[in-house]
Amino acid sequence: MCARGRYSFPGGVHPPEKKDLTSDRRIQPGPTITEVAVMLSQHLGTVCQPLVRKAQAVQVGQKIGDCEAFVSAPVHSPINGKVKDIALRSHPVLGRRQAVIIEALPYHPTKRSYFAMEDDFDEARYSVERICEAVREAGLVGMGGAGFPTRVKIEPNPRLPKQSLIINGCECEPYITCDYRIMLEWTRQIVAGVQLARKASGCARALIAIEDNKPEAIELMGAAVKKYADGDNIEVLPLKTKYPQGGERQLIKAVLNRNVPTGGIPPMIGVVVLNVATAAAIAEAVIGNLPLTHRVVTVTGEAIARPGNYYVPIGTSIEDLLEFCEGVTERCAKVVLGGPMMGIAISDLKTPVTKTTNAVTFLTKEQIGRAKFARRQTLCIRCGRCLEACPENLNPTKIAHAVKHNLLDVAERYYMSACIECGCCSYVCPANIELTGYIKTGKIYVARQRKRMSQ
Amino acid sequence: MLKDIRVSCSPHISERFSTRSVMIDVVIGLAPAMIAATYYFRIHAVVLMATCVLSCVATEWLCNAICKRAHSLGDFSAVVTGVLLALSLPPQLPLWAAIVGGAFSIAIGKMVFGGLGANIFNPAMVGRTFLSVSFGVLMTSWTVPATLDPAMPAVAQENALDMRTQATPLAWSKMAIKNELGADIYGEEQFKETFTGEIGGCLGETCGIALLLGGLYLLIRRTISFHIPLAVLASAFIFASVAFFVDSYAYVAPFFHLTSGGLLLCAFFIATDPVTAPLTRRGMWLFGIGVGTITMLIRIVGEYPEGIMFAILLMNAVTPLIDRLFKRVPIGGKPGG
Repeated sequence: MCARGRYSFPGGVHPPEKKDLTSDRRIQPGPTITEVAVMLSQHLGTVCQPLVRKAQAVQVGQKIGDCEAFVSAPVHSPINGKVKDIALRSHPVLGRRQAVIIEALPYHPTKRSYFAMEDDFDEARYSVERICEAVREAGLVGMGGAGFPTRVKIEPNPRLPKQSLIINGCECEPYITCDYRIMLEWTRQIVAGVQLARKASGCARALIAIEDNKPEAIELMGAAVKKYADGDNIEVLPLKTKYPQGGERQLIKAVLNRNVPTGGIPPMIGVVVLNVATAAAIAEAVIGNLPLTHRVVTVTGEAIARPGNYYVPIGTSIEDLLEFCEGVTERCAKVVLGGPMMGIAISDLKTPVTKTTNAVTFLTKEQIGRAKFARRQTLCIRCGRCLEACPENLNPTKIAHAVKHNLLDVAERYYMSACIECGCCSYVCPANIELTGYIKTGKIYVARQRKRMSQ
Repeated sequence: MLKDIRVSCSPHISERFSTRSVMIDVVIGLAPAMIAATYYFRIHAVVLMATCVLSCVATEWLCNAICKRAHSLGDFSAVVTGVLLALSLPPQLPLWAAIVGGAFSIAIGKMVFGGLGANIFNPAMVGRTFLSVSFGVLMTSWTVPATLDPAMPAVAQENALDMRTQATPLAWSKMAIKNELGADIYGEEQFKETFTGEIGGCLGETCGIALLLGGLYLLIRRTISFHIPLAVLASAFIFASVAFFVDSYAYVAPFFHLTSGGLLLCAFFIATDPVTAPLTRRGMWLFGIGVGTITMLIRIVGEYPEGIMFAILLMNAVTPLIDRLFKRVPIGGKPGG
C-alpha cells in the first residue's frame, strides 16, 4: 500500500533495528508503584521550584513544581499520595538533582489508562491562547529526548513566523518502539494533537514523517488523517529508513530539503518539529485537560526477560520497571536510558523515568561487542568512515583528536559546536575510538571555559 | 540481580568492523595478484613474499618489544606492508635485500612515527624506495616469467627486438624516448601481455587482470572508495594521451602506461592506504591527480623509467596540507555566517 520512502538526508548509518523485540507488544499499564520520584528538572530551561511541603498530601495531577521563567514547564504528581521528601535523586543527564518523592496511599493504587477521545472533536472550539495555556499548564515538553518546553515551540512568535509543522514519527533509534505503538494505538489523539498544534503555531501545513520500516503506522496514520482531518493540509510522508533521521535537523533536511543554520533553531526557517508522543499529549492536555504525568516507555533489550511497551507514571524508578519485567538475564552488561545510539548508560537503578525517557534498554555483552565492552581503542587509521557517516558534514576524527590533546581552539575551528552527538562516527569507527565521547567532553570544556571567562 | 553493569558514553553498540578486518580485506584483495605472481614466477614469488612478510612482522614485534609498547601485530598491517613490498620487488631479488627492505619499511616507515595510524609515508613504498636508491642494480634486474622460460634468465636491455626476453615495458618506453627508437614496437600482443602478466617486471605488478579483480573486491567491500584509484588512473591516462598525441613516435600509447609498471597496484592498493591519504573526498581527488601526474612526469620527462613510488611518497608528504586545504563545512553553513 504505502510507497517506499524517497526522502532522506546525507550521511547517517544503518544500525540493526531490533524493533521486533517489542513492536508487537501492545501498550500495557506499568507496575503498581508505591513510590515515585518526580524530578524538578525534566526539561530544557529553568529548573522548577517545589510547590509542596514534606508530609503534604497530593492528588493525581496536582502541580508540585513550577517556575515563572518563560522557558520552563511545571511538573505534576502522577499519583494520590503523600510527599515523603524533597531530596536528591540521580538524573539521567544532569547528575544528582532535586526530586519530589511521593509515597502512594495504601489501598489507593492509582493506575491511569490512556485518555480516550470523543468523536465530536472540533478544533474550532479551542482558541490559540487556550491551546497554548493548556499546553503550558500540563507541563508538556518534547517527549522525543531533548525536552524543550512545547509551549515555547508552538506559541505564535511575530519575529519568527512558522509555515511548516513536522510531526516526527521516525523513531530512528534501534530497539525503541514506543512512538510506533502510539501511532498504532492512539492514532486519533495524534491527529487531533496535530490539528491543535498546527492551529496554535499558525503553520499552513503539517507533515507527519514516518520511516518506511513502519508500513503499518504509515497506513494507519494515513487513513486517520483522511478520516478525521481531510482537507486540513496534513500529509503523511514515508521516509527512507536511516539513523539519525529523527534528529530535528536531519528530519527537516529529509522532509523539506532545507538546512537549519548551524547553531540555529528550526523556527529560523519557519519550521516546528514535534514528536508523535508530544502530539498525542497535546490532545490529552487541551481536550482532556490532563497534565503530563504518564508516558509510554519501551522496556527492551536482549537482557530483559519480558520486554514490552508500558504506560507508566513519570517518576517510576528503573528498579520498579525491571522488577515488573521479571528481571534481567545473567548477561546484562549495560542499562541504557534511551536507545543504544544516543541513550545514557546508568549505574543507579533508582533513577526515575522522566518526561523524556522513551526507553530503557538492557544490553548484553554480545550486543555491545567485545572491543567496545573492553573499551579497547586503537590509533586512528584515518579511514574517513566517520566523515562519510557524519550527518552534519563535520570531521569527527579531527575534532576528537583536538579535544584529546586539549586543543579546544582547533576543535572549535573544525566546528565542534555543530555536532549533534548522534554517535554515527563512534558507531562506524574501526579503531573503536569514542569520537562522540571526546566531542561531548570538548563541548563541556568549552562551556566551562566560557563560564569562567564571563565571571 | 545486576552485579556488573557498566557505564560509558553513547553509542553503546558499534559496527562489527575493525582495523584488523580492513587489513584482512586488503590481503584478500591482493590474493589474485599473489596467485598470478606465483604462477608466473613460481618458487621465487613464494619465497620473496614469505620473506618480506616475515621480515615485516618480526620487525614490528621487535620494535614493540624494544619500546615496551603493547603488541600491535593483531591488526595485520605488518602483513599488508610485507605483501605490498614483495609485490613491488623484482622476482629474483636476493633474500637479504628483501629482509632489509621489510625491516626498513616497518622500522623507519612506520614504527618510528608511533605505529599504524601515525606514519606519514606508506611503509611499503618507503621500503621499496630505500631499496631502489641503495641497491639500484639489484632492483632493476628483471627476470622472464617461468611460463616463457622455466630457467627464468635475466632480461637484457640490449636484445631489443627479441620479444621474448626484453626489458620491462617501462624501461622500453624510456629507451624509446631517449634513443628516439620508435615507440610503436609495442603491438597489440605486447599490450595483452602487460595485461595478463606474461612479461618481465616486478612480482605483482605485471598482471593487470589480477590487480583489477582485487581492486574491484575492495571497492565492492567498500574498503576503499573509488575516488583515489579513478583520479590516479584518469590523470595518468590524460597525461599519457597528451604526450601520445604530441609525438606518437616517441611516446607509447596511453593504455600501455596504465597496465604496465606499478600503476594499477599503486592506484588500488597503495595510494588508497587510508593512513597516508587525505580524509575528504575533494582531498582524495587532488591526491589521486597528484599521484597520477607526478608518475607520468617521471615516466615521460624524468630520468627513471618508473616513478610511482616517488609520486606516492611526495603526495603522502603533502597530505596534511591537502587536508587543511579542503576543510569540511557544516551542512548548515558556517556558524553565524
